[in-house]
Amino acid sequence: MPAALQFSSVSKRYDSGYEAIEGISFTMAPRRFVSIVGPSGCGKSTVLNLAAGLLTVSAGQVECFGEPLTGLNRRAAYLFQQDALLPWKSVLDNASLGLVLRGRPQDAAHDWLRRVGLEAFSARYPHELSGGMRKRVALAQCLAVQPDLLLMDEPFSALDIHTRLRMEQELLDWVSAAGTTVLFITHDLEEAIALSDEVLVLSAGPRSHLVGRYEIDLPRPRPLLDLKTEPRFAEMYRAIWHDLRGEVIRALGGDHTEGKSHG
Amino acid sequence: MELDSGGWIPSSSRDPRRWWRLGSVAGIAAGFVLGRSRLLGDIFGPYIQIANSLPRVVLAPIFLLWFGLGIWSKVALGVTVVFFIVFFNTLKGVREVNPVLLDNARMLGATERQLVRHVLLPSALAWIFSSLEISVGMSIIAAVVGEYLGSTQGIGYLIAQAEGVFDTTGVFAGMVFLAAFVLLVAALVGRVERRLLHWRPRPAESSSV
Repeated sequence: MPAALQFSSVSKRYDSGYEAIEGISFTMAPRRFVSIVGPSGCGKSTVLNLAAGLLTVSAGQVECFGEPLTGLNRRAAYLFQQDALLPWKSVLDNASLGLVLRGRPQDAAHDWLRRVGLEAFSARYPHELSGGMRKRVALAQCLAVQPDLLLMDEPFSALDIHTRLRMEQELLDWVSAAGTTVLFITHDLEEAIALSDEVLVLSAGPRSHLVGRYEIDLPRPRPLLDLKTEPRFAEMYRAIWHDLRGEVIRALGGDHTEGKSHG
Repeated sequence: MELDSGGWIPSSSRDPRRWWRLGSVAGIAAGFVLGRSRLLGDIFGPYIQIANSLPRVVLAPIFLLWFGLGIWSKVALGVTVVFFIVFFNTLKGVREVNPVLLDNARMLGATERQLVRHVLLPSALAWIFSSLEISVGMSIIAAVVGEYLGSTQGIGYLIAQAEGVFDTTGVFAGMVFLAAFVLLVAALVGRVERRLLHWRPRPAESSSV
């Protein structure tokens, strides 16, 4: 079975000359939940946009389910960090947008709205919803097209801690039920460990590279509410933080000399 | 001078709509094309700026020579006013679409045509409407200026006639009528806008969520 996503010595240099990532290689097996953590400005989003096909590689190759990626990744859905719902479409029209664009029947959108608990809000507009509800609609929009690969860019960073915990738990339930492969970007190590099968640590930018990969062997299904008090969780956290800490310090120190650059 | 004696009603009330529509559609189309293509925008942008910097009052006598005293010189003048207002707003509306919305629609499988229909056009609509409310008043003023400078009928013609015989009341009557007419048309545009942009938060409740 081909890998869901494979990066082979991928580098990305922006037109401005900024070298975001260099020589990144990793493989994701299907149905796995993989997180990338790293200090801010380390090129996490660059990796995700390369996997989505929104950016093209400067060197190396990206493969998705055995096929080299050219243009947009048609097998992936992308949950953006920012609000990406169309404000002029109702909740239902937003949830079914992907299906409408691909000319598919819209039943799946109803279904997913029910699953995210927003069926009663179908006729509302995004501005009438809370941030957490909008995220749910965006998630329903992504999952309704039944993607093989779900790309997530710090999707819950703007939510309050309780909404976030609930959404993380729901996300785990949904993607494991649907068998979706997930590539998840976050700067929050706790979140990465709690959700993932595998955590990749990126170095501080520019020219970020992978500095570590960790298999998370916590049993599933995971009750997130109690997970963080488990000794195994703390153990994993300490081990990964040891790597990440150095990069975070480097990123903070680097800010003074290199100024602001690409996120 | 009696306002209801002349045959001005057909020309003044029908014509602005016609050139307003023509100028609007041309402005939206041009704004879309130049907004979507950096290359075309860079090539034609300066020419449009140059054309826009011409004072309309200077153009009025030229249009009278080219298109005659009748309606078409007024149409041309109205178009030059409306086109640029709508054009610049459409351009801005298309260029300032949130790139995340575009990326999201692309990732969901949108073709270029679907992007225009589902993202670009609705997004530009808010800008276009804010410009239409201004442009509708401007187009009527352009029409009246055209009539004022040379015509055989219309409200501008009546004002010019009244001025010629020192009829201050006639001049003011024309101005009051003009103001009322512009208000009426602007209210109609506002009504259409509210219907088309009903998804927008009302200012009072937007902060509640």
